[in-house]
Amino acid sequence: MPTLLVRVPVRLLSALPALFGVLALTFVLMRVLPGDPAGLMASPSASETELATIRARLGLDRTIAEQFVLYLGQLARGDLGMSTTSGQPVLSDLAERLPASLELVALSFLLAAGISLALGIAAALRPNSALDHVARLVCTAGVSIPTFVSGLLLVYVFYYLLGWAPDPTGRIDVFAIQPPDVTGFLLVDSLLARDGAAFGSALSQLILPATTLCLFVLAPLTRITRASMLSVLESDYVRTAESLGLGRFKIVVVYALTNALLPVLTISGTVISSMLGASVLVEKVFAWPGIASYAVDAIMASDFAPVQGFVLLMATLYVVVNLTIDLLYGLIDPRVSLS
Amino acid sequence: MAHVSVRGRRLSAIALILVSTLLSVPAGAQSREETLRYVTGGSVNTLDPVMLGATPEATALSSATYDRLVAFDSRPAGDYRVFDFESLRGELAESFEVSEDGLTLTFHLRPDALWQDGRPVTAEDVKWSLDRAVSAETMSKAQLATGSLTDPSQFTVVDERTVRITLEKADRLALPNLASLYAPIYNSELAREHATDEDPWALEWLKDNTAGSGAYAVSTFRAGQQVVLDVNEGWANGPRPSFRRVIVQTVPEASTRANLVERGDADITLNLQSQDLRALEGRDTVKVASIPMPTAAAGLIFNTRMEPFDNVLVRQAVALALPYDNLFETAVLGRGEKLYGAGWQGEPEEGVFPQALPWSTDLDLARQKLAEAGYPEGFETTLSFGVNRANFAEPAAALIQESLARIGITVRIDKLPDPQMAEAITDKRLPMLIERTLALFPSTEYYFRIFFSGPSRWNYSSWDDARVNEILPRARFEADQAAYEEDARRLVGLLAEEVPMTYFWKQTLDVVMAPSIEGFTAWYHYNVDFRDLSRT
Repeated sequence: MPTLLVRVPVRLLSALPALFGVLALTFVLMRVLPGDPAGLMASPSASETELATIRARLGLDRTIAEQFVLYLGQLARGDLGMSTTSGQPVLSDLAERLPASLELVALSFLLAAGISLALGIAAALRPNSALDHVARLVCTAGVSIPTFVSGLLLVYVFYYLLGWAPDPTGRIDVFAIQPPDVTGFLLVDSLLARDGAAFGSALSQLILPATTLCLFVLAPLTRITRASMLSVLESDYVRTAESLGLGRFKIVVVYALTNALLPVLTISGTVISSMLGASVLVEKVFAWPGIASYAVDAIMASDFAPVQGFVLLMATLYVVVNLTIDLLYGLIDPRVSLS
Repeated sequence: MAHVSVRGRRLSAIALILVSTLLSVPAGAQSREETLRYVTGGSVNTLDPVMLGATPEATALSSATYDRLVAFDSRPAGDYRVFDFESLRGELAESFEVSEDGLTLTFHLRPDALWQDGRPVTAEDVKWSLDRAVSAETMSKAQLATGSLTDPSQFTVVDERTVRITLEKADRLALPNLASLYAPIYNSELAREHATDEDPWALEWLKDNTAGSGAYAVSTFRAGQQVVLDVNEGWANGPRPSFRRVIVQTVPEASTRANLVERGDADITLNLQSQDLRALEGRDTVKVASIPMPTAAAGLIFNTRMEPFDNVLVRQAVALALPYDNLFETAVLGRGEKLYGAGWQGEPEEGVFPQALPWSTDLDLARQKLAEAGYPEGFETTLSFGVNRANFAEPAAALIQESLARIGITVRIDKLPDPQMAEAITDKRLPMLIERTLALFPSTEYYFRIFFSGPSRWNYSSWDDARVNEILPRARFEADQAAYEEDARRLVGLLAEEVPMTYFWKQTLDVVMAPSIEGFTAWYHYNVDFRDLSRT
């Protein structure tokens, strides 16, 4: 265990050059792309002096190199800059929005993992059966329908036509009283406040967006579970276990599944990371205050600081998710170690 | 489609019964009844309406949270009301006088006017607020300068309840500017408590806090997501607002907003897509109002400094080759007010602008003009528009492309992301573009000053006409209404002759609301003023 305490920080430190590279690239890209942030900010009757004032305030009158050095200096003090569109510090914007995104992604992933493991295992146990075809159909449909279409469709059916779902806007019913902000995760905060109504409202607001996002990632998880299970089920040790007369359940769950999980885990890392950024359309359809739509809005308005902050955050999350996956490898397969 | 909507109606009827059963719990019914929920595609990013970069929604929100010295009246227009630029009333001021020569404006404050923190509104507060408007780096500075309000020395405290404003010249737009959202009056004592040496005008603090006397006080503010307002019980600077609580919520997806209002979960929304509006108009679950905006006109702009559009004959040829009726029916489904095909020649009968210009489709004359200009074989050019205008500009561009091909002009269509469009407009490097012009005030002189003179980015066509430049400074300070009207007619006549821009239509403000909502008024900011609305 002490080796782990050394290796984790070393792994994190070794990610720093990559983070820096990503940051520098985004910084330069945002500035060489055509666009006039001052022109977008100015009032309808703005004069050239007002435009110049805005440019100076945004620091756009300096060279890119100067701007980058200033930005790094800010970053060292933990300041990600100000968003011109929201008028707030980027750090507090991201801190407010990240829990919303994480809550949505976590629930969608749990949903997707549960369904795809069940579907994948069932399909592998009976390849080319009717069930296998159903699984294939669900996956193909999920991955080929764009999320805004499936999202709007779910809204239309479950909110507009049936009226089962609450109105699809935001994280909690607008007329409900929000629990005090402790962690930023509404499900956790409402439990901490022992507020059952708020918990129920937050959970019901989550169901449609989480289902939409879950449909989108069902395919890779189910396909990899099925493929991996198929190859494991044909392996020598499973045949040995079968010939020794072990129970079917024990063979499938203990011997086959544990060994089949490694590739599933690898894919999971990629899936979780991509869900954080790819959820932008889901966030737009459900007015979900997450980080992806925040970043896209910032790009549309040539608002540099939030884009850089977002990229930095995403890069850090990738590092953390990958590290966690690597640690989990070690737990599932003792032959794998972090080094 | 038909049977889906019938089924939808039946189900929503069932849902309505369910909802109304739920709402019959007395307490819940009362609070929802007295709450207005406004869902908007835009967002409120600051509580200071004049912050540089404040969104239109943020600025418009201040009609409820702040008061101004004066306000525009409104007049009925069909089932709704529209602002009246010609008529002003007091808001924080109980009364006001303009001196004979138009150089001195005197405002008498209401004796009972209170800040939301309970302190009385004084002349000192007004002085500080106007000083801030012309000194601090905000949107007010440029806007108030259009009404000759530029220097703190113009604002004098006469006594505790009287403020005097002096002007160097009698500017026709001084009062309208004071009535605009760019001249909010702040609680100076409260704001100054949060001012610092680097930030003497409390720009930082006012971003996230209000120091106003308005009809509504902010109770929750989540930048970019949601604002909750509660009525200010003591407010008496205008007719008493009807809703006790207002929720302003950002919902980016237009069809979700339409669903919310149709289901009765939200009360009012703006800016839906034309197709959605057409579908909603056929149902009795919502009320749809399409009000032509007096100051918003869409059209085709030529760069008068760039070949071949520096030749007036080419501009006239293109203006004659546009399929106006087809554009109007296809691009905005016939919504709005036509700004083409007028009968007059030379000068119009009235000086108002935007008004219809005497251009209509005549391909033979267009070919003739083009040949006269030296382009008998036509030429190639580019037509640009920004993504946020795409809903009407995209179909319009395709129709223009098709129509201009008939007189030999080959058009390449270039759809630009908004920041790129803004940059290209500032650089004046686009030969031809589709845009919407939106002036704050329906004043002809003001419209021409902003859009057709000087080097500013808003002079899209870079039009620089000696006759216009001569009329503008005179008209701005013209006290005689008849003389002003004459100048205004002359300006419109020159525009029709020189065509730096040819107009399609006045855009409509499309409002979708619950059938129970009454009192909607189209203000010059074309957003919702919650003080007007009530539920029947």
